[in-house]
Amino acid sequence: MKKIFTLKTLLSVVYFAAGLALVGGIWELISYYTKNEIPNPRMTWITFKEVMQNPMQDEPDIKGIGTKLLSSLKRVGIGFGLGSLIAIPLGLLMGSSKTLMAIINPVVQILRPVSPLAWFPLGLAIFKDSPAASIFMIFICSLWPTVINTAFGVSAIPQDHKNVGKAFGFSRWKYLTKIMLPFTLPHILTGLRLAIGVAWMVIVAGEMLSGGMGLGYFVWEEGFNGGNVGKIIVAIIIIGIVGLILDKIFMALQKKFSYAV
Amino acid sequence: MKTTLMAVKPIAEKDNAVSDTILKPVFNAGKSIEVENVTVSFKTPKGVYTAVKDISLSVKKGEIVCLIGHSGCGKSTLMGTISGMVKPTAGIVRANGNEVTKPGTDRGIVFQNYSLLPWLTVYQNIYEAVDSAIKYKTTAEKKELVLNNLKMVKLWEHKDKLPGQLSGGMKQRVAIARAFAINPSILLLDEPFGALDALTKSSMHVELLKLWNLDNREKTIVMVTHDIEEAIFLSDRVVVMNNGPEATIREIVDVPLPRPRNKKEIVHDETYMAIHDKLLNLLIDKFSIDDIN
Repeated sequence: MKKIFTLKTLLSVVYFAAGLALVGGIWELISYYTKNEIPNPRMTWITFKEVMQNPMQDEPDIKGIGTKLLSSLKRVGIGFGLGSLIAIPLGLLMGSSKTLMAIINPVVQILRPVSPLAWFPLGLAIFKDSPAASIFMIFICSLWPTVINTAFGVSAIPQDHKNVGKAFGFSRWKYLTKIMLPFTLPHILTGLRLAIGVAWMVIVAGEMLSGGMGLGYFVWEEGFNGGNVGKIIVAIIIIGIVGLILDKIFMALQKKFSYAV
Repeated sequence: MKTTLMAVKPIAEKDNAVSDTILKPVFNAGKSIEVENVTVSFKTPKGVYTAVKDISLSVKKGEIVCLIGHSGCGKSTLMGTISGMVKPTAGIVRANGNEVTKPGTDRGIVFQNYSLLPWLTVYQNIYEAVDSAIKYKTTAEKKELVLNNLKMVKLWEHKDKLPGQLSGGMKQRVAIARAFAINPSILLLDEPFGALDALTKSSMHVELLKLWNLDNREKTIVMVTHDIEEAIFLSDRVVVMNNGPEATIREIVDVPLPRPRNKKEIVHDETYMAIHDKLLNLLIDKFSIDDIN
């Protein structure tokens, strides 16, 4: 049985509480000086409970926060999933061939720094549909971290491992499944973890542009346009927590698939 | 005149083909490895670096030969030309009568740093090698092979461990079992015991010879080492190499000690001591700090 209440976990709880108290203090001060233009933590808590009432409500006009969250997650999932399906094989190819690397890498390097939001109008022009455009945007921005990390992983396969394949006459398939993929998996997961982080950041902005559904729309329409700053803060906290959970999931995967040499 | 030549030429060519496929193995019967005038050069940013130059060596079937020399003298490079990992710049290497152009499963390799795949268990590491190298067997027969070889190196009970959970000696036993499992006629060992402590090393020597005996001493073994005692205990001949670059063979020393050899007794043997001295002289010319300068 692993001990849960060690001094280390106790300390991290204390530090976490200290961090919260610090943020809460600053928040209170800001509320005080803006004369509650920015609602204080206590008022925000009331808004939070309000928002959390009937979260899964899904009617044409009224949608609960949970429904909105799920619709955001769904779009991220589709865009990120499609992006990864392209990015992983592309990265594997780039890593295994110097020529392909030389051809694809400059393109990746030019497109990578482009703000994901710049792809939104292009998606709109292609698909004539704003939800599809935001999926397109997520798709594009999920590509780069995974492509780059996968390619790096493949190019870092130690000569020793390659020699095993040569010496025992591994087929291409066996080399791919028993040497290349297992070695590259931790690198791929690093790429995916970075990609999901970017995707989650970008979806909120995308939904502000596209309107209609999702957490981004909630922040913009009901929060800002509806004049309810408390809702904006609630949404920010939810977005933050969900982002953290997504990151932790990929971190756990990374841990699971790393190995001792 | 011209027509006769025309007529004769194809036959001559055909004769050549016949001699290549039928006669060569007959001529080379008993010869396992032939290295003929092999030179290996690498292109480096500082120009061409020649690691080994114009080396010729012939190894008989079932013979154990050690390549010995200082670090960086091209032992591993020469070994690489036999395994097919290194392409000679000039010259030719034949293994079992066939020119070596790439690694092949008639030559089993044990690498210096074990080279086990860290994400596969001990069992899987050997199975994947067997599965690739031996095409004509059924899955059940392949599994049987893995089992037998793991039992030979006494690692059956560790079969489900990952390489990271094994000691250096155990890892090397897995690597040796893997090389034996594909049943190669030639076994190439590149400083296989270099990273092991002296006690483990000693027992590994005995294990290696045991495996070789079990196979009726039919496998040819070439081993790279820089350990004189190891070389004498194992080999029939010790190939001493000059220091690189452009390394060549300095001398080939016969080890006419009868087998089976006993580690404890052999060191008191006069022949052993003579060979040991000779090798030491060939390898080291400074024996005490007074010799320096």
